[in-house]
Amino acid sequence: MKKLLVIFAAAVMMTSLAAAQTATGTLTVSATVNGTISLVFNSDAAGVALSSGAGTNAASLDFGTVSAFGTLPAGVSRPAPTATNFTVSTPVDVLVNKANTASTNYTLTTQLSSADAANTWAANGAAFTNTTAGTATATGTYGSNVPVTLAITIPFTTASGTTISNVVNFTASAN
Amino acid sequence: MKKHSVQIRIMLAAAALFFGLPLLAQNPTATGVINARLTHKNGIALVFDTDPSGVTLGAAGTSAATLNFGTISAFGPLAPGVTRTSVTAANYTVRTVFDVQVIQGGLNSNTYTLSAQLASALPTGFSFKIDGVTLANGASNIQTNAAYNVDVPHNLDLTVSTAAPGAGGPAVGTPLSTVINFQASAN
Repeated sequence: MKKLLVIFAAAVMMTSLAAAQTATGTLTVSATVNGTISLVFNSDAAGVALSSGAGTNAASLDFGTVSAFGTLPAGVSRPAPTATNFTVSTPVDVLVNKANTASTNYTLTTQLSSADAANTWAANGAAFTNTTAGTATATGTYGSNVPVTLAITIPFTTASGTTISNVVNFTASAN
Repeated sequence: MKKHSVQIRIMLAAAALFFGLPLLAQNPTATGVINARLTHKNGIALVFDTDPSGVTLGAAGTSAATLNFGTISAFGPLAPGVTRTSVTAANYTVRTVFDVQVIQGGLNSNTYTLSAQLASALPTGFSFKIDGVTLANGASNIQTNAAYNVDVPHNLDLTVSTAAPGAGGPAVGTPLSTVINFQASAN
């Protein structure tokens, strides 16, 4: 009986010794944080719904069929035409978020991707072309949808049925 | 009788010379016995390995490795092997994968428990999780039944506050380091 107890005790000791076995390691983790901002487009409640890409930074906006005097699609506005042209406009929301920056607001500029010799483009009243950017706002608020009214002025000389298409590049710069 | 005795002595002397000289010509030899004793000591070891889907570790294959997320941001590009798993107004999380391999010998143990803890206070605006377990200054169990002798992948999540530097967010443009201590215990 005494021998059995000794054997049992030894077995217990060996088990406890085995359970106590440990190994250690250290992993040194590093990272460099950069402050960044992001820009996405959203449909504005008062404007034309974005046809694609809402919530992203590459969206599409279709004014639909517009004219100087006829009816306009919902969300499209038209001030009184002049003697030579008419303007259609719609608001689109721009949402700029920031991270790890002390910037309190941003400047938003727009610029055409390719030349448009016939029509005039403007954002929040600031004209822009493919060579000259326009400033839509100099004090954009982060973290909320900021409506930007995009307007196209079309001369009466434009042939009926003409499709107007261009890419408008938006750039938000942290102030 | 005396003559016979002399003859016998001469014969013995001749025999001694005949058989003794070759023996003297051989190399001398000596023998000995060593009683060798080897004590087999059991144990386990832990090393870090680069995971194919994660960032490349420095000093991979050792128990003191380095892991660099590189330049991280809420919206910008990330280094290969780093993914951004979430972005909220308050924070964003980047993830990479690393492997832990624990080798054992001589143990009657089939699995091990892996725990991890921070070696010191975190940089402002940082928090870490491994496999969803938040790391603290005390040990936290990451895995309780890990297999020996294979690379076991673990997700390392780094959550970064989006607050500006000085307003609760991390310092920007400078590397921030944290040491994580791991311990593997045989089950």
